[in-house]
Amino acid sequence: MNIIVFTKRVPATQEEELRIIGEGSAVDLSKVPFKVNDWDNYSVEEAVRIVEKSGGAVTAVSVGDAESDEVLRRAIAMGAKDGFLVESGDIVHDPNARATLIQNFLKKENVPFDAIFTGVQSEDDQFASLGGILAAKMRLPFVSMVIGIDSFEKDHAVVRRELEGGLQERVKVMLPCVMSIQTGINEPRYVSIMGIRKASKVERKIFKSADYQENVTAKIEVARWIYPPKKAGATILSGELESACKELIGILKEKGVYQ
Amino acid sequence: MSYALVVSEVRRGIFEERNLDSIGLCTHLGKDAILIIPEGEYGIKEQLVNSIVKVKVEEAVFLNPLNMVNILEKVVADRGKPDMIVFTNSSSGTELASYAAGYFDLPIITDVNSCDKDQGIFYKSYYSDKIFGEFRPIGNGTAIVTVRSGSFKDFAADKDVAPSVGTMEDVAVSSARTFMEFVEEEKSDVDITKAEFLLSLGRGVGNKDEVSDYEELAGMLKAVIAGSRPVIDKLWLPKARQVGTSGKTVKPKVYLAMGVSGAFQHVAGMKDSDCIIAVNKDAEAPIFQYAHYGIIADMHKVRDKLKDILKG
Amino acid sequence: MIAQTQTRVLTCIQCGKCTGSCPESGRTPFNVRMLMRKKQFQNAIEESIPWYCTSCGSCTIRCPRDVKPSEVIIEMRAALVENGSIPVTIQKALENTFVQKNPWGRSRAKRGAWFEKMDIEIPHVSETETKRLLFACCIQAYDPRCMVIPVNVATILKKAGIEFGVLGEEEACCGNEIRRIGESGLFEELQEENRATFEEYGVKEIIALSPHCMNALKKEYGDLGIKISHYTEVLAPMFTYGTVVPKGSYNKKVIYHDPCFLGKQNGIFDEPRDILKSVNGLELLEFSRSRDNSLCCEGGGGRMFFEVEATYQRNAEVRVQDAVNRGAEEIVTSCPFCVMTLEDPATEKGIKVKELSEILMEVL
Repeated sequence: MNIIVFTKRVPATQEEELRIIGEGSAVDLSKVPFKVNDWDNYSVEEAVRIVEKSGGAVTAVSVGDAESDEVLRRAIAMGAKDGFLVESGDIVHDPNARATLIQNFLKKENVPFDAIFTGVQSEDDQFASLGGILAAKMRLPFVSMVIGIDSFEKDHAVVRRELEGGLQERVKVMLPCVMSIQTGINEPRYVSIMGIRKASKVERKIFKSADYQENVTAKIEVARWIYPPKKAGATILSGELESACKELIGILKEKGVYQ
Repeated sequence: MSYALVVSEVRRGIFEERNLDSIGLCTHLGKDAILIIPEGEYGIKEQLVNSIVKVKVEEAVFLNPLNMVNILEKVVADRGKPDMIVFTNSSSGTELASYAAGYFDLPIITDVNSCDKDQGIFYKSYYSDKIFGEFRPIGNGTAIVTVRSGSFKDFAADKDVAPSVGTMEDVAVSSARTFMEFVEEEKSDVDITKAEFLLSLGRGVGNKDEVSDYEELAGMLKAVIAGSRPVIDKLWLPKARQVGTSGKTVKPKVYLAMGVSGAFQHVAGMKDSDCIIAVNKDAEAPIFQYAHYGIIADMHKVRDKLKDILKG
Repeated sequence: MIAQTQTRVLTCIQCGKCTGSCPESGRTPFNVRMLMRKKQFQNAIEESIPWYCTSCGSCTIRCPRDVKPSEVIIEMRAALVENGSIPVTIQKALENTFVQKNPWGRSRAKRGAWFEKMDIEIPHVSETETKRLLFACCIQAYDPRCMVIPVNVATILKKAGIEFGVLGEEEACCGNEIRRIGESGLFEELQEENRATFEEYGVKEIIALSPHCMNALKKEYGDLGIKISHYTEVLAPMFTYGTVVPKGSYNKKVIYHDPCFLGKQNGIFDEPRDILKSVNGLELLEFSRSRDNSLCCEGGGGRMFFEVEATYQRNAEVRVQDAVNRGAEEIVTSCPFCVMTLEDPATEKGIKVKELSEILMEVL
């Protein structure tokens, strides 16, 4: 089995206070540390586990700036055979443009595959669309929110998709296909610094995104970046215990966790 | 005619509540809504939309992206191009939406939580919800959006006239992806990281005998029980229920912390929950710094009162 | 390195002194002597076992053959780290440290939050004449409970007229726990980064607040040419010679808990005690196990990020009970990890845990 898996280097914004600059034209990420996109980490692990069992090779591909080499080294340390960087200076916000670029790349470089794995979404833009768009453009079957791969045969796979409220659906999908992998599908192995250093010795191929620009046009634009409405501090439900408790139940209903 | 197409999400015969957000967005934007839905009885308020297309296929066939594009193609052939196609922002909603966007080469904006109708702007969260982007589809063609649950449902309102209802037959069904069965997650081994509603107990619970009363409350609220380290340490709750640096990191929709003081090691495991409600008799407890709502009271009294209210 | 370990392990005579002094052996499945035996014969070791070690160092101190069992355990962990099969919570701490330079994954940009809120101005170390650095340590930079320690010590140093500066977000985790978890590559990266920062600003002296940081900086960073001390070492002479005279009195029976990384591993027993003795009214008590025989609180060696499967009475509980039996009103210690582990059971027994600087703030 040959699996192409996409991996992206993203800003670790969870703990940061972000600043909008240039009158809303950009978000200042200059001081934010970067890391591998969580979903992609699970995808790489899943792909590696499959080839470890049934043979074949994992090719990790990253679209991004030169620094994205970091996530390729990481993927190789986890067990990917090759790391391809499609170097692009600009951040592509539009998943359509991104998917077209990837489609052009895969076609032109003729990278063989039985399946393409992407993370369900990336932590920075939370679009959750790349896998679906890519699959449709390549006219391949698609499954998203994959939380378990029950079998991976020559021409098909049986997978579980995570739905809402603890429910899953089992579906059969023909190969080759595109799968978007959900976090929690496995427990990704730890990648040590020594492991990454060793992986650095495997050559990563660099491609220029400028060579794959056919039909790559943005279909959406960002007008401006803004701060979301501010969260207020803790609201204390005061007064009689009875009314406070009723208010609490009201909040649970509003949040949709209690009917 | 300018209209919006709403792709409904129906799961195990139930019309999901979040479809109202999709309908609400159309109402908010002043667009006529055509709802497409697999044929069946759902007891929905049909008057919320202008038109309904009942598709003669099974729910699982309908919710399959490889078939949905065929359904959409037929609707468009019949009714012309819509201004937008609206999906729920859920597991199936985003799956269908993204595949349709790629298939028809259309702009897509997902997880829309609000919009500016005059400027044609959709707001979507970025960077762990810390920033909103104002997104606009380029050109005047059809745009695809998925709508965050809870953001537009209040706009949904009855139309003056009952909707026209049509049916669709002969949908081409793909064999490249087929539904097999539903799988319920195993309940025996509860994974607190997957729960939407956690009732977390802290040291304040006092002794083991009290725990069963909280389990009862959790049962009434359909919440999953979790705990902080002191509670797990004393074996009042199993290890798998521990929240914190040396336990699990959770992000439920609601984290109801009762008798939890909010030590650093605990907070690290739950601070990113959507809504944190703290109950503690100590007004100075650090947990209140992280909470969205708080009750300063004896946790046992709150528990008993909640049970009374829920029973009544 | 591995070969060296093997030679060292072969000299083990299985005397059991390690197990006898180990805070985990005998009550959990962890047994140091047995581990050394298995290592001698290169037998398989169950994956969870090496994680029980708290890195207190007792085994290595007691070993008559210089086998250095605690180091052998780090190597066992290192093999698991290289394999990638380590407990999830430990993995998270390592990944956090890689990204944010602290095991809790808090924003590196906020590492200076503790001094930004203070009334007094604290300069960057480069702006000081003495190039004396106050090294904050991760837990004290982020945990609101432990954040009082740098705030207190900075205030006391200011009062005593001692010049110092800080690094704020340029400081990275010292790596003491990271090395003990067995992630030597990450430890090297942290070490290189801190080293370069010290060099860049010409740091001449470092006052460490946590005994864990002091230990790493002093013993595991190679020769930095920088004087490294724990803050109690800096304060002790001032209190004993009367340069600083506590004005108030502290009429309480206080029992001092020796942190492993300060006491048994670095021989700093008297300085904290001398400071406490200089406080009027304070009656200093001793645990039944104190000084180099002190019982480990179980917060070190990565145990902050890992709970063992075995259920047993925690050392912190034993410790608190002993303090109560001895009539102590408060437990005092000088390590943030000890504060965190002791505080849980102490709260239950209705006895307070204080970090030494907290008492000083009340009497100065």
